[in-house]
Amino acid sequence: MGEREVDQLLVDRAQHGDKHAFELLVTKYQRRLARLISRFVRDSVAVEDVTQEAFIKAYRALPTFRGESAFYTWLYRIGINTAKNHLQALKRRAPTTTLFDAEESEGFEDASLLHEVSTPENELMSKQVVDVVNSSLQELPDDLRTALTLREIEELSYEEIAAAMNCPVGTVRSRIFRAREAIATNLRPLLGTSKNKRW
Amino acid sequence: MKQKISALMDGELFDDDAETILDKLKQNPDMQEEWRSYHLIGDVLRQSDNVHANISIAIHKRLQAEPTVLSPHQRDSHNARWLALSAAASVMALTLVAWLSVQVGSETVPQLAMRQSQNAQPANLPARGLDDYLMAHQEFSPGLDVHGMTAYVHTVASQQEDK
Repeated sequence: MGEREVDQLLVDRAQHGDKHAFELLVTKYQRRLARLISRFVRDSVAVEDVTQEAFIKAYRALPTFRGESAFYTWLYRIGINTAKNHLQALKRRAPTTTLFDAEESEGFEDASLLHEVSTPENELMSKQVVDVVNSSLQELPDDLRTALTLREIEELSYEEIAAAMNCPVGTVRSRIFRAREAIATNLRPLLGTSKNKRW
Repeated sequence: MKQKISALMDGELFDDDAETILDKLKQNPDMQEEWRSYHLIGDVLRQSDNVHANISIAIHKRLQAEPTVLSPHQRDSHNARWLALSAAASVMALTLVAWLSVQVGSETVPQLAMRQSQNAQPANLPARGLDDYLMAHQEFSPGLDVHGMTAYVHTVASQQEDK
C-alpha cells in the first residue's frame, strides 16, 4: 500500500461519514496546501483563512471525488481555485477591504485563532519549532539521520532507501521511526505548552 | 504501534495493518498526537523557512457544523459503470459472433452445393445412379443435419415414384 492508497483509504472512510478520517488528511496536507496558497495570497492571515476554506470545500465535494486522480492533486486544484476566488473577491471590494474584513473576522467563530496568526509570540514559536527539529536532526546518529532525510526530503520509498543504505527494508522502517520519535521527544514540551495546539 | 503510525504515513504498511491502525487512530488521542507531530517534523524538514501553524483544530470546529458526507455508493457506482460497460461489450461480441455465423452459414451451403453440382456433371450418371451416389455419400455433406435429411427425404420420394 503506497501513500496514495493510504489517502484513498482515508477518503473512502470520509465518504462513508467518518469525519475523523478527513481530519487526518487535513493534518497531513495542511502545511503543504498553505504553502501552495501562500504563492497566490501574501497575507498570512488570509493564507490560513483560504486554506481552511479550501479544506471545507474539499469536504463538501467529497461525494464527487472518484479517485481517478490522487487526493492531493484534487485538493491542490481546489486550493488554487479558492485562492484565485479570494483574490478576485479582494479586487471587487478593494476600497472597503480593511474595514469589511475586520468586521467579518470579529463575527467569525474562530476569530481568536485568526488574530493569533502573526503575533510575535507565534513567530517566535515557529522559529523554536524549526530550531528544535533541525538541532534534533543534527544530533541523530548518521544512519537515522540519513534514513529520515532520504524519506522526508528526497521522498524515496523504503525499498529505495534500503538499496541506497545497503540494509533490509525492516531496518529502514525502524531507523525512520526512531529518528522521528527522537525528534518528537524533543518537540513535545514545546507542543504541549503551545496555546490551542497551534503547532 | 508508533512504528506502524510512522510506516502508515509513509505508505509502507500492508492493507490490513493500515485499516487496523486507522481504527485505533480514531479512538486514541495519543496516537493522533504522534500522527500530528510526525507530520510536523516532515513539514519542517521540507520547508523550514516558512512553517505554517496548525489549523486542524479550527477546521475540526468548522467540520462539526458541516453535514456528514455519506456517499456509500460512490465506489459502487464507479464499479457499476465498468460492469455495465463490460456487459455491453460482451453482448456486442456475442451479437457479432452470431451474425458472422449466420453469414457464413447462409453463404457456404449454396457455394458448396454449386461446387458439388459442378463436380457431379462430368460423371453423367443416370437419375437412379445419382440418388444412390448421394445416399451413399450424404454423410460427407458439408451442410447441417437438416440439409442432409432433406436430401435423404427427397431421394426416398424419388425411389417411391420409380416403384
